[in-house]
Amino acid sequence: MPDARLSVRGLGLRYPNGTHALRGVDLEVRAGELLIVLGGNGCGKTTLLRCVTRALAPTTGEVWLGGQNLASLNGEQLRRARQALALIGQHAALVRRRSVIANVACGALARHKTIWTNLGGLPSSELPGALTCLGQVGLSDLAERRAGNLSGGQAQRVAIARALLQHPLVLLADEPVASLDPEAANEIMRLLRRLAHDQGLAVLCVLHQVDLAFAYADRVVGMRDGQVAFDRQRAHLAMDDVQSLYTARAA
Amino acid sequence: MSANNPGFTADAPAMLVPGWARSMAIATRAVFIVLGMAILVQALFVVQARPQDLVTGFHGMVDIVHRSMPPDFSALPDAAWPALETIDIGLFGTIMGIILAVPLSVLAAANVTPSRWLYYVSRAVIGFTRAVPDLVWALLFVTAVGLGPFPGGLALAVHSVGMLGRLFAETIENMDMAPIDALSLTGASRLQVFTHGVVPSVLPALAGIGLYRLDENIRSSLVLGFVGAGGIGFQLLTAMNLFQYRQVSLLLMVVFVIVFAAERLSAVCRERLA
Repeated sequence: MPDARLSVRGLGLRYPNGTHALRGVDLEVRAGELLIVLGGNGCGKTTLLRCVTRALAPTTGEVWLGGQNLASLNGEQLRRARQALALIGQHAALVRRRSVIANVACGALARHKTIWTNLGGLPSSELPGALTCLGQVGLSDLAERRAGNLSGGQAQRVAIARALLQHPLVLLADEPVASLDPEAANEIMRLLRRLAHDQGLAVLCVLHQVDLAFAYADRVVGMRDGQVAFDRQRAHLAMDDVQSLYTARAA
Repeated sequence: MSANNPGFTADAPAMLVPGWARSMAIATRAVFIVLGMAILVQALFVVQARPQDLVTGFHGMVDIVHRSMPPDFSALPDAAWPALETIDIGLFGTIMGIILAVPLSVLAAANVTPSRWLYYVSRAVIGFTRAVPDLVWALLFVTAVGLGPFPGGLALAVHSVGMLGRLFAETIENMDMAPIDALSLTGASRLQVFTHGVVPSVLPALAGIGLYRLDENIRSSLVLGFVGAGGIGFQLLTAMNLFQYRQVSLLLMVVFVIVFAAERLSAVCRERLA
């Protein structure tokens, strides 16, 4: 398989009380691919993302990104390696009082740890790049708008622009359309697919909407009880596979 | 009309309730009304309310108002300096209060405080400065540094710490943490997260609270003059003691202009921040 940007091997997480949130999860996200993870509530989708970003420390397994195993890193090394991951969540998490362009420029702060940026200044050399990123999400004309005045869909696109300016190897998305109406949700999914196909970004997206997965994914991973239930190209995906994710627990 | 509307009508819930429960509800309401009236009556008794005295003393009030007319505008130049003093006492108290309250409020906000111990200490300091009235602080500082505007400014500064510190801390505690977490995940340094995430999120609210406090402090600084802490309040007290009622009425006009201007200015600034 060519160019796996992120590769998760045997990832497991066991809580101190003995319950297994993840058991031996294997998956790969390749450059230029939109991978969608589906699964019922509590199947471990979000836990998987939290283990990849190391918001949670996995008990077993490896997370390979850019030649480094994130699971074995700590402290400053981890912080630096993690910059190659960008995360967008269910809510855009913008600083509402600042302009759109300022929010996007914050994605580049890690590359500019100067006195000026530590005092709240924006890295001016990054502003053209920030505008380019805004252009990629189709919001160039809103650069000066206050982030708090955007619609949910627009705010989410600004969050994606901020993530792009981070120059990530992998873009992680945790239910990015959960709080959006269907039209805005489709727009965000189209954007994620375009970023993968046109820019060669590796996108790993956790979703609840089966229809969106069928419409936009290149590959779909189904999770159940903290394990990978299937991992298929969309063309080979059947509705029965997906339904089994949501019914097997009851059986 | 209920024939057209088979759903709930306004009296439908009452019809669903049994008779004894309705009597109970009415009885409870009656008890509350009687209780409320009893509280009012005891208040009238305790303050020794005597409306008849207000009627018989009315001509005294008319007399004072008559003697204070027209206002003595020749005293206006002499009122200018104390007026400025009053405004500046309020400004000094507010600015010093903000300078003291900001670090205290960071320690007293549960979500950002560096340690539980500092949290409780700063909460105690904030509570204490608020609990002691500014007049008492003014008396304390007058005995410490003597008469004049300085003790007034100090009193307002210390008392403001109580109100500002608490409201600042609450603002920080109610802050949306999602952008903060998002920024730290991009790999930004802790200071960058603070200056780019926390500061822009809370600054407008803090400035608004500070402006509101400035308005209150300018009003308080008028009263502080009465205990010798300078400003136009002291001038007002002196004029009253000397029975210079025409001067008193002029000073009251000046006070009105100051208070009204401070309130409008603070409101306009706060609106622009919102």
